[in-house]
Amino acid sequence: MKIPRGDLLRSRVVDDPGTALATALDRRLTGYAVFEPQDTVLLGDETRGVVTFEDGVPVLAYCTDTDRGGAEALADVAGPGPYSVELYELDPSALAEAHEADDLRVSPGLPAERLGDDRDLVTRTREAAPDARLGNDDTDAVEEFLADEAQIEAIREQAREEARDRAEEWGLTDALDDRDAV
Amino acid sequence: MVEAFAVASGKGGTGKTTSTLALGMALAEDHDVTVVDADTGMANLLFHAGLDDAAVTLHDLLVEDADAAVSDAVYERFGMKVVPCGTSLAAFRAADPERLRDVVADLAADTDVLLLDSPAALGSKSAVLPVVLADRTVIVLQPTIPALSDGLKVQEYARSYGTETAGTLFNRVRDDEGIERVTEQADRYFGGETLGVIPESDAAREARQAGEPLLAHAPDAPASQAFREAASRLDVRDGASEDVADRFRSAVVPDEV
Repeated sequence: MKIPRGDLLRSRVVDDPGTALATALDRRLTGYAVFEPQDTVLLGDETRGVVTFEDGVPVLAYCTDTDRGGAEALADVAGPGPYSVELYELDPSALAEAHEADDLRVSPGLPAERLGDDRDLVTRTREAAPDARLGNDDTDAVEEFLADEAQIEAIREQAREEARDRAEEWGLTDALDDRDAV
Repeated sequence: MVEAFAVASGKGGTGKTTSTLALGMALAEDHDVTVVDADTGMANLLFHAGLDDAAVTLHDLLVEDADAAVSDAVYERFGMKVVPCGTSLAAFRAADPERLRDVVADLAADTDVLLLDSPAALGSKSAVLPVVLADRTVIVLQPTIPALSDGLKVQEYARSYGTETAGTLFNRVRDDEGIERVTEQADRYFGGETLGVIPESDAAREARQAGEPLLAHAPDAPASQAFREAASRLDVRDGASEDVADRFRSAVVPDEV
């Protein structure tokens, strides 16, 4: 991936890379972020993940070490953290050529989903994304979401608890099905 | 014979009302169908069914000292019985959800299939009531992460009240190629089967603007055909109508909204 060097906006070490994605989104950043996992900082490796943005919404992901793009690049970079993160701003025209590379593309919410802790950020990012970006290229992200059985079970478990708590709050406990009650 | 289905989705914009009326019209070919706008806080079925100026709606049946009879709010439209709900916030506030079970019990006594267009929310007693009262749910999904995760939530809420999933509908689908892989995976988590995959359709929007259900407005559109196939996969179960009516009457219903 070839992109010109942008203007450095901020550089810091964070536990959750999602905070950098949130900053990019809130600022409607056009540019890119460079993520460097802590272990590479310590070991002097050169694993760096680059995520580009258009108006705050992620477009491409690339891992310099493995030379892989898209969802695979995010997997290469994802780790327990902390991360050193730098955010750069660029003129939109400087990214136009790079953004034509289909093989590096990610669906808008995928970086937040893979790198961040905050589910709301996934939703917020998707809401900010233009409709055209929420079309077909989303299928990969949906498949990955459904493949994550632990995450699905967590959503269900939380909903079950919430349903029972609220039933109590609303005086609906008598209507609950107690077959699976503890 | 009667079975009550809550047509539900955790998220707005999935085309739940379009789906309710489409399933209703398709099922009406073989069954006596009643469609109720149970989304009493954000009603919109009346716009889809050309009933904007309905003189009596569900709201009029839910207020204290209602002088309207249940039959006054039932409109014969498109081969179905349609019970619209009004859109006035004041009427919603004045409505007593306690009365919904009686209204629905009355309707259930006299129909084969009852479809409750349910709110796209789970945050209040009145919003959760349709899935509490229904026999089974039809969950309307889109192949997106928010729609799927909200659909899972609705399913768990409904199951907590003993309401199983009859099947899922993937609506407004744009990616023909990927959808099969998505439905295959989603089937592992949702009850029932994938009843149908409905392609995104301009006809649905045009139908809404024309105040007609999709199947009346564009019967030959690919989306309409997909809805008909979905309805044919929905196995309506036999049950004594009195049982259902009794169940609605005895259901625990909240005191206030």
